[in-house]
Amino acid sequence: MRNRALKTWPAAAVWILLLAGPPQSPAEESLHRVWAVKDCKIITQSGPAIEKGTVVIRDGLIEAVGPGAAVPADAETIDGSALTVYPGLIDILNQSLLKLPELKFDQTKILTGQYTDEDKGITPGLLAFDIIDLSKAAVEKLHKYGFAAVQALPMRGLLTGQAAVFSVSGTDKNQSLLLKDNALGIGFSPANFMVYPNSLMGVVSFLRQEFSDVSYFIMRRDRWRKDMRGLARPAYVARHDLLADYAAAGKPAVFFCRNQHDIRRALELAPELKLDFFILDQGSESWRVLPELKKAGARVFCPVDFKVPASSLHSQFGKEKKEAAEKELYPKNPARLAEAGIPFAFCSVGTDDPKSFMEGVVKAVENGLPSAQALEAMTITASRFLGLDRALGTVEKGKIANLVLVEGDLLAVEPKVHYLFADGTKFDVLKAKAEAAAKPTVNVSGKWEFDIQGAGLKVTMDLVQEDTGLSGRMSTPFGAFDFTGGTVSGNQIDFETTLQVGGQSIDLYFSALVEGDRMTGSVVQGTEGSAEFTAKRIPG
Amino acid sequence: MKQPERLLILAAVLVLARPYPGAAEGKDLHLKNGNIITVTGETVKGGDLVIRGGKITGIGKNIQTPAGAAVVDLAGRWAMPGIIDSHSHIAIEGSVNEMGDLMTPEVDIRDVINPEDIYIVYALAGGVTTIHTMHGSGNPIGGRGIVLKLRWGKSAEEMIFRGAPLTIKWALGENPKRSNALGMGPSRYPRTRMGVEAAIRLEFEKTKDYLNTWAQHENRLKALKKGEPPPLPPRKDLRLEVLADILKGKYWVRCHAYQSEEMLSIMRLCDEYGLKLACFEHGLEGYRITNELVRYGVAVSSFADFWAYKWEAYNTMPHSAALMAQRGVLTALNSDDAERMRRLFHEAAKTVRFGGLSEAEALKTITINPAIILGIADRTGSLEVGKDADIAVFNRHPFDPYTVCEMTLVDGEIFFDRAGYLEARKKAEEEKKKPEEEAGKEKRS
Repeated sequence: MRNRALKTWPAAAVWILLLAGPPQSPAEESLHRVWAVKDCKIITQSGPAIEKGTVVIRDGLIEAVGPGAAVPADAETIDGSALTVYPGLIDILNQSLLKLPELKFDQTKILTGQYTDEDKGITPGLLAFDIIDLSKAAVEKLHKYGFAAVQALPMRGLLTGQAAVFSVSGTDKNQSLLLKDNALGIGFSPANFMVYPNSLMGVVSFLRQEFSDVSYFIMRRDRWRKDMRGLARPAYVARHDLLADYAAAGKPAVFFCRNQHDIRRALELAPELKLDFFILDQGSESWRVLPELKKAGARVFCPVDFKVPASSLHSQFGKEKKEAAEKELYPKNPARLAEAGIPFAFCSVGTDDPKSFMEGVVKAVENGLPSAQALEAMTITASRFLGLDRALGTVEKGKIANLVLVEGDLLAVEPKVHYLFADGTKFDVLKAKAEAAAKPTVNVSGKWEFDIQGAGLKVTMDLVQEDTGLSGRMSTPFGAFDFTGGTVSGNQIDFETTLQVGGQSIDLYFSALVEGDRMTGSVVQGTEGSAEFTAKRIPG
Repeated sequence: MKQPERLLILAAVLVLARPYPGAAEGKDLHLKNGNIITVTGETVKGGDLVIRGGKITGIGKNIQTPAGAAVVDLAGRWAMPGIIDSHSHIAIEGSVNEMGDLMTPEVDIRDVINPEDIYIVYALAGGVTTIHTMHGSGNPIGGRGIVLKLRWGKSAEEMIFRGAPLTIKWALGENPKRSNALGMGPSRYPRTRMGVEAAIRLEFEKTKDYLNTWAQHENRLKALKKGEPPPLPPRKDLRLEVLADILKGKYWVRCHAYQSEEMLSIMRLCDEYGLKLACFEHGLEGYRITNELVRYGVAVSSFADFWAYKWEAYNTMPHSAALMAQRGVLTALNSDDAERMRRLFHEAAKTVRFGGLSEAEALKTITINPAIILGIADRTGSLEVGKDADIAVFNRHPFDPYTVCEMTLVDGEIFFDRAGYLEARKKAEEEKKKPEEEAGKEKRS
């Protein structure tokens, strides 16, 4: 009798956007530099903090650390007497640097039923390395908050793609790369179309069959390679070949869990599929399943946006109850993980930029997470999760020189970062900040037409600039949305809007450079990556 | 009090006030001085029920309270077996239909149980203790269902009715042939009732081939000489594996059907393949073929007075369920709906009103009959010594138009207690008022 209709094609899908990599910026200053940071406090993360010591950096690596470390004759020294040196922070599931390929909404597909793997969200061949965009602005933004390494992973769909890890040391991804194709994304996301699997239960069944097929593919391939004589040659399946690296607990998969039920599902499914795995706790509901996580020896990627999932009873009975849970219960998730002794690393999923990421981290600390553990979750634990603990995560001799030099505490909403080293390259963050905070050189007040590429979408913006502040209204086919809190500095504008479409809210983060009556920039939407846009002023 | 506020408080009570006080698991209970509707035996007026270790250990008059048991005075209220809804779609996360393919027996409700569906609470408030929750009716062979005991507050694993036979949902007629879904995509085979049956038949022929391939492989392995490399096994197809298990009788088929002709033809098909056809879902035209249904030994899980909502659901009447039951068809009433689920006792009463079923037979349609259909009648469905203490307590006879369910026990544990709930709600309302009153005082002063 019951026969729920096909999901309405979300109007939001037009926001699912695309790439087209911009030309590479020239490489940052090259390596092979020698630095000595003198008289600084050092949070080593490998042992107790050093109250006053020296860190020597040579050719991209940490050469020496300690109270008595000698300053080499060829070193350029930095007076660190007012500074604290931390290991560079690691953003473990960065989304904002990825330019996801466009999903084409195609009426003929619906009429013919000729869907591709992409339509089903089955894109294990989508490599973060191929679609990363390390723009100068993005790199500088990360530096401002102390991030010296990122793991990026496409998160759209079911088998979403493969991750890559970069040092945030420049705009050349080949130079910056630490690990390529090091993790697989698995989302419990049914297809949006009438194509298998288009239900959650179908997704689980699909994963079972898929990894069973991968094992079969490996067996047949290996048997044939061992002795070709007398054995029929197995057909090549590109998808299975890619997934073969992950089968039999090879490289790890990351299960994107929207709520506690997804976490339970992943904990049950991962051993069944013989996958080495991480849990991404997108619903901040680890606290509901601590014994299960503990028993499974799970490792958790912990976001800090603390949004109550729709499935929670706390969000089903009105705004008041939901907000109370959002304020009082869900931000305690990291503290509860720490209490239970479950290893976790913070990740930026659900936050639009490094600033809101740090706001979330601070909120976690305010809600009972010891700050030392918060720091571990962004340094040493993160590096261990990435299998990079020999290279990152602490201030130790021989490790990659990813360091933050900060005045005061690093874990703050606006940390006073002076310098950041990534791969031993020095970035003068203070100077960059001063330049960025420059007085506006443009006035963008007025009406603009934004042309968002890939989405094939034009929206009208009414912008109001008051000194460095920016507010306005965005008029879209789905309604008009007001925003405030944007900024203008130099000729750059940044602002964030939240669309309410079909009962869900979609955060969009716009960033653009203005030249006269034109602007060019990018718009980031949560896990859907980012897209380029151009805009022109409408006279009048 | 405004409605939204009341809802909010209800939520607070439901979330925060569970489990109910005094309902510790495994605690022995003595329900005294009530009217005990056993369903399978005589109703005991002014009788007692004793529960130890989650099981019923005594039914009768003037039973001595066992040492350590908590006493609940029923004060003339009515206790009946917990109601069983053998056709439900609650407590499922995500879509109940996998529409991406025609045949999807591999999908399993067990993978998507949502133990925090608020409708579980509402069902308990209507005396329901056990449900069979399953795939929708979009596919000829849809997916695997699951029997749950409504142990609200427990995990999905802890809700599963252990030992209940496995079930598989089939569907015939308008839904699988997409009669009412034109324009939603390419036309999908099958588009006719004969096509639906043929599609099922084709699938089982494919399964037979698949089993054959594996049998040949096993034979080759057996005949393997020493030193010879073993042959490559065939590919494991998890969809066909389930179909093979259906062929082997490991699943009880639950077949959504309205029309008598297609019910007859699917009985023939199941006979031909030796399948265990347990029940027709809805079966609104079942009253026309009662002899055939009885001869085949298939049950019907139906509605009391819900029909004519689509073409294939016209040729029936509210007397249908009673007529089938009177002619010896194992007949149950189901909800198929989260709301109707809360008042199945009144659905059962309708069979008395329309079809003239006896009260005793009418009660069976929501207790022991669905238990037999689900293969769990040895555990639940009636009040008998040795069975699970799944009990619903009503303030009046459950068929009384003014009856209210006051308490629901699953395995001897109280999961719904109206008095306790009302008290908790009152407290929550007072708690909420306090800061408001204080704020008001401050304003005045």
